[in-house]
Amino acid sequence: MMLYKLFLQQCIRSKEVWISLVLITLLGIVGIVIGNKHLERQQDTIAEVKTYQERHFDRQVSLHNDDLGLLLYYANFAHINNLNPLAGLSIGQSDVHPTVKRITIKTFEAQKYDTDLVNPMNLQSGNLDLSFVIIYLFPLLVIVLTFNAVSEETETGTWRLVAIQSKSKLRFIISKLLIRLMLLYVILIFLFFVAKLVLNLSLDIHFFWILGLSILYILFWFTVSFFIISFKKSSGFNALLLLSVWLVLLILVPAGINAYVTAKYPVPEALSTAIAQRDGYHVKWDTDKRATIEKFYQHYPQFKKYGYPTDGFNWLWYYAMQQMGDDDSEKEQNAFSEKIRLRENKSVQIASVIPNMHLQLTFNQLAGTSMSQQLEYLNATDEFHEKLRLFFYPKIFEGQLANTMDWSQFVPEYYKTKITLKPIKTIIPLIIASIVMIILSIPMIKRL
Amino acid sequence: MQWANIRLFAVHFWRNATAPKSFYLLFLIFILLTAYSAVSGIKNHNTQNNIRQEHQVKARQSWEANPDKHPHRMAHFGTFAFRIHPTLGIFDYGLESFTGSTVFLEAHRQNSVNFSEATFSTGMLRFGELSLALLLQLVLPLVLFFTGFSSVAKDKQNGTLKILLSQGATWKEILFGKSIGLFAISLLFFIPILLVVIITLLLFEPSELNDFRWLRLFIIGISYLIFLFMISSITVIVSAISNAPKNALLRLLGIWLLLVILLPKSAQAMGNYWFPTPSKLAFQSAIEKEVIQKGDSHNPNDPHYNHLRDSVLTVHNVSKVTDLPFNYSGFVMREGEKITATLYRKHQAKLVNIYKNQNDITRFSSFVNPFTAIKLISMTMSGTDFSSYMDFQDKADDYRYQLAQTMNELQMEYISPKKESGSEGKSHVVEHEHWEDFQDFRHKPIAFTSSVKEAFPALLSILFWAVGTIFLILFISKRAKAI
Repeated sequence: MMLYKLFLQQCIRSKEVWISLVLITLLGIVGIVIGNKHLERQQDTIAEVKTYQERHFDRQVSLHNDDLGLLLYYANFAHINNLNPLAGLSIGQSDVHPTVKRITIKTFEAQKYDTDLVNPMNLQSGNLDLSFVIIYLFPLLVIVLTFNAVSEETETGTWRLVAIQSKSKLRFIISKLLIRLMLLYVILIFLFFVAKLVLNLSLDIHFFWILGLSILYILFWFTVSFFIISFKKSSGFNALLLLSVWLVLLILVPAGINAYVTAKYPVPEALSTAIAQRDGYHVKWDTDKRATIEKFYQHYPQFKKYGYPTDGFNWLWYYAMQQMGDDDSEKEQNAFSEKIRLRENKSVQIASVIPNMHLQLTFNQLAGTSMSQQLEYLNATDEFHEKLRLFFYPKIFEGQLANTMDWSQFVPEYYKTKITLKPIKTIIPLIIASIVMIILSIPMIKRL
Repeated sequence: MQWANIRLFAVHFWRNATAPKSFYLLFLIFILLTAYSAVSGIKNHNTQNNIRQEHQVKARQSWEANPDKHPHRMAHFGTFAFRIHPTLGIFDYGLESFTGSTVFLEAHRQNSVNFSEATFSTGMLRFGELSLALLLQLVLPLVLFFTGFSSVAKDKQNGTLKILLSQGATWKEILFGKSIGLFAISLLFFIPILLVVIITLLLFEPSELNDFRWLRLFIIGISYLIFLFMISSITVIVSAISNAPKNALLRLLGIWLLLVILLPKSAQAMGNYWFPTPSKLAFQSAIEKEVIQKGDSHNPNDPHYNHLRDSVLTVHNVSKVTDLPFNYSGFVMREGEKITATLYRKHQAKLVNIYKNQNDITRFSSFVNPFTAIKLISMTMSGTDFSSYMDFQDKADDYRYQLAQTMNELQMEYISPKKESGSEGKSHVVEHEHWEDFQDFRHKPIAFTSSVKEAFPALLSILFWAVGTIFLILFISKRAKAI
């Protein structure tokens, strides 16, 4: 016990160590505040949408009471991806993609990919959230705390004393590292505690997974550091090598992989889909009306009873055309989602061997802010859209009056992100990476 | 201060630094990274532009394939504007991956620019992108730190410095000499990248007759030279004020982390925190509200339009709109488009102003952070920055307005005044030749002068840094101690 106390004192004696410990705690808190702001902004938007939607329908009903088809041309319905509070820890892709969508019952494809108002500079600089602090900055702190754990002893001449006096040199080094590891864990747990209070997190399984994975990730960096200091080179050399590892793992490798994925899977399908849905709907203004309506009935045989009104403009034909925007671009849509799926799979696959990338993707997954969850939300929005269509189509075709309906039932609908937890898949890459580092160090340990 | 001595120190530094084998390994790795980034940059540029141009043609073909129809149908048929990737984007990706590439242009509606690379990407993109500019901004400074951290500190540690000074060398000569030596080494890394960019510029046809690409590259080149000289000098200065090489290296790495990772990220985060972007709904409903106040063409009893109708009727001395010499519905839509477009632009300008406020913290931080200065100059002069993107949005929206108003005017001119409303059917139509007459959208890159204006604070700050570095060397050479 006494030994550990001395180690602790030795470790925090240095001014640089103190400064970096305080700095990372502050940055962690800043990260949590930024995450909280992100969540608050979403809640503000939701509140705006709620009040807007009520007034919106009142106005539409008063303007177009006798023309339900026209009313629904304008009417917007909100579908909200209510962010999990954990999104405050890992903002992920929830800043690029809208989390509140307001849609009409017209062609869905034309609205599906509409973006929010975003400043691209903010996107590029990325979010300074807690996940960033954990993934980028904690490893640096590991480096600062450990790079001279052995070399300072050799450089100050105490190593020989240690070598004679302690039973095992390995145990000496490990205990020295362990005390530093504990110090970082204390800070990490403190930050999670702050996060729990500020973001009002529930202590559920996903919270503990994020914490647990962070703990493992820091352990991984300790094993990297252990490997490098076991060469027993000078402090300067260790610092240089550890920082190079950091630079390669956290900046160069991900950037290189990103360039690879972007080049390998370009997405022309996105643009093709955009054109296909436009043409799918708009050319129907010039083609045979009956053919359009027939095609519409093939999709929805239940509406056949409304017949084939082909004289002049009518809403049945109009919404049949709108439907064709979605139906006729199906081939392109499928190719598009297939491409996105390919990209996602490839990224996850590559990331599983790079601990930091793996951790980022897993954090996003656990916080409900990953790419795949965004796609699921879009698909759910599609279902929501379909539900609205099926509700309103017969009413429009029958020419019902708008005020015969209860519009107050159309409150914004909430979507809850599904978080699938694959414990083994999540944890294995980090454990394997740590074990590999330890195995690599074994030949060195023998020569300590 | 003697030039011969400075040269001596520079040559000596060069020889020392390039002697170890590890230097060649580092150089080799850097060249490989350069090759990889150049190839992926060029490939990405080609693929993206091919995709976009191909789709621009495709969209145009279906526009021109429209038969005779009511012009308002064409206004809604609309078209797409695809943003063209600038040639210098091969060098600096800038915001390219975070800005949308496609916008649908139609009457009444200002659609969002969709399909940025970031929307197709997993969280991976946030780790950064490997471009030639990234190598120069991030990796090369580190290489210089590693090569130069011991330049003076080692001499100090082993006592050579005292001998040098006692034999008549001055601090000024030592600092300038070693800075120039390190700067020369940085050129060894910089020139291959510059050559790659020059060759690609020669290979790729300019999209515009006079796009000032060479002048842009010249400004980029000069700025990087200043930047690299500054980094070289700072390395030598930090080495001179540290008493051991190890401390010098740690200090330099601390500076790198602070200026490359922490400061830029915090600056942008602060901007985002202090100047919140309004939600899309708040933005749109503010416009909607003002449109309703000003005049809502969809409301049959709107006072603005009733007044307009009455005055038009009086001027033409008729009692019914169907007796007017032009199609009145087209006239109303022209008025409506004018009102909504004006209001939209007003609010859009306000929104862009909020973005600018957010970005200004980054922009002006270039006076404390040379890394930000070079980053901004590089992407602004490459045409991949915020202002280039806004320029595209404005141009696309101008085109959209032209499209809607041309169709409204065709309606006023060619559609019978008797046709009061509706755009369906084959009876009230305009010949399809008119569709071809309306020119396709062509994305013209941002004007050179606009880029310079945008980059002005950063350009100023890099000059300021250049002068500041010289002064710093002079200042340190008076203060530095040999032990």
